[in-house]
Amino acid sequence: MARLRSSKGGNFLGLLVAACLTGTAFCQNLPLQSPTHPVPSSRTSIKPSSSKEQSTPSSASFVDVAHAAGIDFHLTCGGAEKRYIMESMCGGIAVLDYDNDGWMDIFLVNGSTLEDLQTKKCHPSRLYHNNHDGTFTDVTAKSGLTHCGWGFGVAVGDYDNDGWEDLYINYLDGGVLYHNNHDGTFTDVTAKAGVNNAGRWGTSAAFGDYDNDGYLDLYIANYVDLALKHLPEFGQGPFCQYRSIPVSCGPRGLKGGRDRLYHNNGDGTFTDVSEKLNIDPDSYYGLGVLWLDYDLDGCPDLYVANDSSPSLLYHGDCKGGFTEVGVQAGVAYSADGREQAGMGVDSADYDNDGWPDIIKANFSDDTNNLYHNDHNGEFTDLAGAADFGPVSIPFLGFGLKFLDFDNDGWKDIFVANGHVNPQVDHHSFGVTYAERLLLFHNLRNGKFEEIGMKSGLAITRRYVARGAATADFFNDGREDLLVSVLDGPPLLLRNKTATPGHWLRIKTVGTRSNRDGFGARVEVKAGGLTQMAEVRANSSFESASDPRLHFGLGAATRVDSITIHWPSGKVETLGPQSVDQELVLQEGSGASSNPGPKLPEKALKRP
Amino acid sequence: MLALAFSMAAPSENESVTVLIRKGQAALDAGDFASAANDFERARQVAPANLEVDRGLLLSYLQENRLDDAEKVGRSAIAQFPQDSQLLHWLGLVYFKKGRNPEAFDILRRSEKIENSKADIHFDTALVLLSDNRYPEAADELEKAIQLDSKAPLPHVLLGRAYQNTNRSLQAVEQFQTALRLEPELPLGHYHLGFAYASLGRNREAVAEYKKELVRSPNDASVLYQLGHCLLAEGEWKAAVAHLQKSTEIDPQNYDALYDLGKALLSLGEAESAVPVFRRAIALKSSDPSAHYQLARALEKSGEKELAQQEFETFAVLKKAQPVTGGMATGPIH
Repeated sequence: MARLRSSKGGNFLGLLVAACLTGTAFCQNLPLQSPTHPVPSSRTSIKPSSSKEQSTPSSASFVDVAHAAGIDFHLTCGGAEKRYIMESMCGGIAVLDYDNDGWMDIFLVNGSTLEDLQTKKCHPSRLYHNNHDGTFTDVTAKSGLTHCGWGFGVAVGDYDNDGWEDLYINYLDGGVLYHNNHDGTFTDVTAKAGVNNAGRWGTSAAFGDYDNDGYLDLYIANYVDLALKHLPEFGQGPFCQYRSIPVSCGPRGLKGGRDRLYHNNGDGTFTDVSEKLNIDPDSYYGLGVLWLDYDLDGCPDLYVANDSSPSLLYHGDCKGGFTEVGVQAGVAYSADGREQAGMGVDSADYDNDGWPDIIKANFSDDTNNLYHNDHNGEFTDLAGAADFGPVSIPFLGFGLKFLDFDNDGWKDIFVANGHVNPQVDHHSFGVTYAERLLLFHNLRNGKFEEIGMKSGLAITRRYVARGAATADFFNDGREDLLVSVLDGPPLLLRNKTATPGHWLRIKTVGTRSNRDGFGARVEVKAGGLTQMAEVRANSSFESASDPRLHFGLGAATRVDSITIHWPSGKVETLGPQSVDQELVLQEGSGASSNPGPKLPEKALKRP
Repeated sequence: MLALAFSMAAPSENESVTVLIRKGQAALDAGDFASAANDFERARQVAPANLEVDRGLLLSYLQENRLDDAEKVGRSAIAQFPQDSQLLHWLGLVYFKKGRNPEAFDILRRSEKIENSKADIHFDTALVLLSDNRYPEAADELEKAIQLDSKAPLPHVLLGRAYQNTNRSLQAVEQFQTALRLEPELPLGHYHLGFAYASLGRNREAVAEYKKELVRSPNDASVLYQLGHCLLAEGEWKAAVAHLQKSTEIDPQNYDALYDLGKALLSLGEAESAVPVFRRAIALKSSDPSAHYQLARALEKSGEKELAQQEFETFAVLKKAQPVTGGMATGPIH
């Protein structure tokens, strides 16, 4: 029988649709949203593996032992709907050896809820002592770390050079500096020290000695100036939307908090030099802080990841001043010159070319950055070329860390993810609120392979993860991971990777330099490979990691040499060393070479 | 499938009307719409209130693109047969073709209410909605159409596009894959699938799909551009340059392709070659701060520090002038 067909049968609109599909007039009314995700802009050559080894496919293995280890912490951070911006930003964690027993302990910062904050109900942060047997004991009650508030990031550093790690914790309305009393207790010395960051909402903080005077200064990234009595209404207005659905407001549309830099006066007090040094003049939304010396001139530089605004790179001038060079250096924006939602940051020399590179976590629909150091004061985002970027597009990264999980001498990368808007779960955006963790294996040729899905159940599960820190908690020569999870218990991911790789761990003790040796650059030669690392505790997102440097040595059975560039300018070189051990290197105790040209006069006077 | 329902013809109608309807139907089947219109016009003179005649005439006019005549016939027929979903459906298409989408939508909705189990009506309603960028509603209609008839590839393609444009890329991938399973030779099927993969950051899969599409359409500037874009994102700069170069030769007005070509050259370390490409891009769209940023980087790497600084300044000015949307900087999707 003859038939009169409609639309998709083919006669009439079938032709129209076919025309659409082949790109003619009707099609122009049906635009596809362009996947214009960022791509790398420029690069210099990636140094290939010096040993010409091809990286073998790696299977990492991480097991969550938090519960078994006695970590019974639960992170509280607002309500389940996350109606306000601060309810998504908790998660500070610190790894520190607070009692100097040689084993890394854990400090976990707690948040609060709006209601509990008003009624002064406390959600205490917790300090866990490492029992040296794979377990931890909650020693919070004894420690005196009892400040009641809505906590965020934490910084670790020995600000008074007494040989004991102190703590600085950011809260919604200021910060608290705890001095370590050497007996398992801490004393709140904020007022005396003058580092209260009063009324400001700090996120990450980091100790670093920017003027190389031998005392650690303190940088605090402030996020948003928030008035609790006038919180912006959920979903109301253009800055309270994500992909057209109502979500919590900000940070855009809210007033940014100006970061603070506190100079350590060397007498237990600090001076706020933010205005003097023109720190964060536009009050960007600060989230990640990283001290590094990107141009190897011996003077600390500072990189600050800002949310939804340009990130900042302060170049230290060796005279106690800074010049902000983020745009010129190529680390302020995405490769396309767009602001990114920068979260966590870290630095390491991933391609073993002797220069520190930078990684930064960003929002979903964007790629994380892998800023390759071009050795000329500029960086090139090689995230795409390195297979580090595109895979991160559906993920909202917060904490991220370089580590060498398989001890092969090439830095791998871990990224903790978790969205800020639980509302995304009600939509098929291709992003979810809870997200899996990402583990990137360094293939030694400038590229990474994301192997999270074959790294153990704990990695493959989904979490709303925030802070991330690395440490060798069990002193077994493997780098483990500590991850905070919003509204849940943390993950203590013990590294069980089957690896033949040897290792070396180095603890630095400054004498003329700051006692922690933060900012020291250490070069280790072994097995034909030279690795470089800088000493620091604070990086990632709101977190502090094991400050001991960990070098994977692969098959090398001895370390040929170690060279330390101390912040004081002193350079020391040690001869051959055994592998699989921890060395404590005290400034001045090794073979000394050049004293270094750029040591400020003041540093020489320090006892 | 829809057909003129001869069984519904009134038994009292004379034989000549039946013959004319048969002739008109045959002409429609043969694609001879003018003859069909002529047959149905003659039939209408004999039987002015015959449903089959009105349907045939309306469809003939519609196919012949005599839209004013189609509208006139359709309106008068609907006055007589207000509950006939077929007439409503085709009149809706007349309005749609005339660009009168609100009327098209209303009348298609009426048709749907009478005959909710016709996949075609949902499909055509979706077309109207898609052309108005009403993607979520279009997706609803296409889902209904597919529920009623899952074997046709085009609804899957359009549903994929509706999903893509409502940030549901994962579901878009499924729809494009289904469409390609049903019709492996679907025009631009691999292109759409590649697009969906790319928006999820799955560039390698996107590249594979674009390459398949390129076999079908080796000189399609859009396919070449998208392939180059993904290769650039994957760090395959040489291959990206080749495809983007070709894309810009075919379509020299494609700003995005020029921009990406500049970036690919810059990535290859050919900063001096990138400079004129970025300048060409800026000539097409001077208001985009990104191109000025890239040009500044290229000039910087070419040793033109002063010019680079000027471009950085232009970039900063344009950046400030840009409207800020959304609470968080989320990359490409605002």
